[in-house]
Amino acid sequence: MRKKLFFGSIVLLAVVLLSGCTGAIAWPGLAATDEVAYLANTTTVYAVDLKTGKELWSFAGEKSGFSLFNSNPSLFVTTPIITEDGLVIVLDSSNKHVMYAVDPNDINMEEKTPNVKWQFTEAGGLWIAPPLILGDRLFAPNSDGKVYVLDLQDGKSEKEAIEIIDISESDEEDTRLWAQPVSDGERIFVTSLDHSIFAIDITTYEILWHEDLGGAIPGGAALGSDGMLYVGSLAKQLERFDPATGEHEPVLDTQGWIWGTPVADGDNLYFGDIEGYFYSYNTKEQKLNWEPVRPDSAITASPLVQEDRVLLATESGDIFSVDHEGKIVTWYDVSDGKAYTTPVSAGGVVLAAYLEADYFLIALDEEGHQAWTYPGE
Amino acid sequence: MKNTTPKTQAQRPELPQGFSRETLKTVAVIAVLVLAFTNFSEVIDFLVNILIFIYQFVGESFGIAIILLTILIRLITWPLNAQQMKGAKAMQDMQNDKEWQAIQKKYAKDREKLAQEQMRVYREKGINPFGSCLPTLIQFPILFALIPSITYAIGSTPLSILKLSNSLYSFQDVAALVPLNSKFLWMDLGLPERTLLFGLSIPILALTVALTTYVQTKLTMPPAANPNDQAAATSKMMSIYMPIMLYFFSVNYASGLSVYFVASNILSIVQYALMGKVNWRNLLPGGKKS
Repeated sequence: MRKKLFFGSIVLLAVVLLSGCTGAIAWPGLAATDEVAYLANTTTVYAVDLKTGKELWSFAGEKSGFSLFNSNPSLFVTTPIITEDGLVIVLDSSNKHVMYAVDPNDINMEEKTPNVKWQFTEAGGLWIAPPLILGDRLFAPNSDGKVYVLDLQDGKSEKEAIEIIDISESDEEDTRLWAQPVSDGERIFVTSLDHSIFAIDITTYEILWHEDLGGAIPGGAALGSDGMLYVGSLAKQLERFDPATGEHEPVLDTQGWIWGTPVADGDNLYFGDIEGYFYSYNTKEQKLNWEPVRPDSAITASPLVQEDRVLLATESGDIFSVDHEGKIVTWYDVSDGKAYTTPVSAGGVVLAAYLEADYFLIALDEEGHQAWTYPGE
Repeated sequence: MKNTTPKTQAQRPELPQGFSRETLKTVAVIAVLVLAFTNFSEVIDFLVNILIFIYQFVGESFGIAIILLTILIRLITWPLNAQQMKGAKAMQDMQNDKEWQAIQKKYAKDREKLAQEQMRVYREKGINPFGSCLPTLIQFPILFALIPSITYAIGSTPLSILKLSNSLYSFQDVAALVPLNSKFLWMDLGLPERTLLFGLSIPILALTVALTTYVQTKLTMPPAANPNDQAAATSKMMSIYMPIMLYFFSVNYASGLSVYFVASNILSIVQYALMGKVNWRNLLPGGKKS
């Protein structure tokens, strides 16, 4: 009998532990205003006061329907988007596929969670890409190969897509859309894991062109100061596109897969690869500004470009500072955790989100010294 | 004062017949386990690369690749499984042994003496008491490594694709293959499976895992030699707890793993059937009585 009880207890414990497992599917999403940081981290979105590092509220999605023996929690990993009205758009990356707009100014004090202003439940796949807001419209790429266009001003609490641009119909391959689109004012450019980039007219929603890059494109495109579009892919190449026609050519071979979206700053384009190399490419002169530097480990995050330096988070968790000559120094040396998320500068601090660390979020001052961590130590 | 007494053969502890060989086996298994667990990431990488390799040859279907890998693992571990069955049978036969039953009675209140006597009988009959569990133990690293391998290789989420890139051998040029086709039947193998039926989220595959695990455990359970047969009692408990545990595991993890569990259960039944060890009566109501 004792043996049975012991065995049963072990199984019960395993069952309880497993029920709580959700497994990370991606790294945290991070956005901030001058006063509040919004962190989408596994099952919860946290709002953290930038001055104190204290939690203002949290949001874990709305309770879903019955699910047999499983709580089926929400998953938040996509970068939150802040609208002009101050709403925060968060995407549930679990198999519930819900997009929520929560109002930070309308908090349920009892549960310390913001009320949901509207939600959108039509998508058929995982939300990984942050949506793009253009005026009153929101363009939301989904892993089901569709871009959902929502009207932000229709006042509906259950949104319906005003347009569904079905990219998956244009190609037989797996058109999972994981990156935030970019717009030149006439078109949006959507990258896909099926190796393609699509240009879509923002007025007619017509796909104007799509081109194959020979490798999946988990990151987004960047518009250079020369008016051209720059895209990196797992084919280890940076390609330059004419946004009007889709004509393209490779401009740089890289050492590893390019994951993060390149960042344009004047004539310079900054990006890293997962072999750990960091590049600075001059779009005007069409050459590297300096030989690629290799801090220490894989780079998936986009760099944070500041006035006199570029900050770079790597898989090791350390943050590096690279000056305009390509000189690199360790700016913040972390004890544990992995940094795949792009750092954010807001309210006088630099925010970095971590995976597999004792804390989710750290705020660093201008010198790279810790201001606070969330949760606190 | 220095001890000058010469060591003779007679002073060495005498090893019983057959003991050295069994000890050697045990040490070998422990060494393999230590080696596997201390190089666990290499084991994962190896399995990931095999999966990707198979995937390229089966029309880029990850579900088929998982099933073929399961068959491959079953074939490789066939001798171990056969040995496990043999060990289990020997242990079960022991329950009917008259000498064994006699010492159980005689030393029922002296556990230390009972253990000594049991070891003596094992030695005399050339049975390794761990004979049935060592082959199972040696498969643990493979099972544990399979879980992350399948999750990484499917690469249906950003983190798994990133981990896949770290696992690939240099000769595997899979940039053109990524993202791998994670769709199999109605499922996305990179995610836990749910089917919406009548407004309810039903984990059909996890239920299939539980059912096949139950059937597999029942079919491969040897008939109890006597009412006090401890091995049979443990098997009975396993037939209840294992399906429950694997169900919860399947509900929460990538459905690719569930495909592995279902395939593995079916192949296990096939293997037992081929070796004539399946007890079909166990599935029938009152089957144990006959």
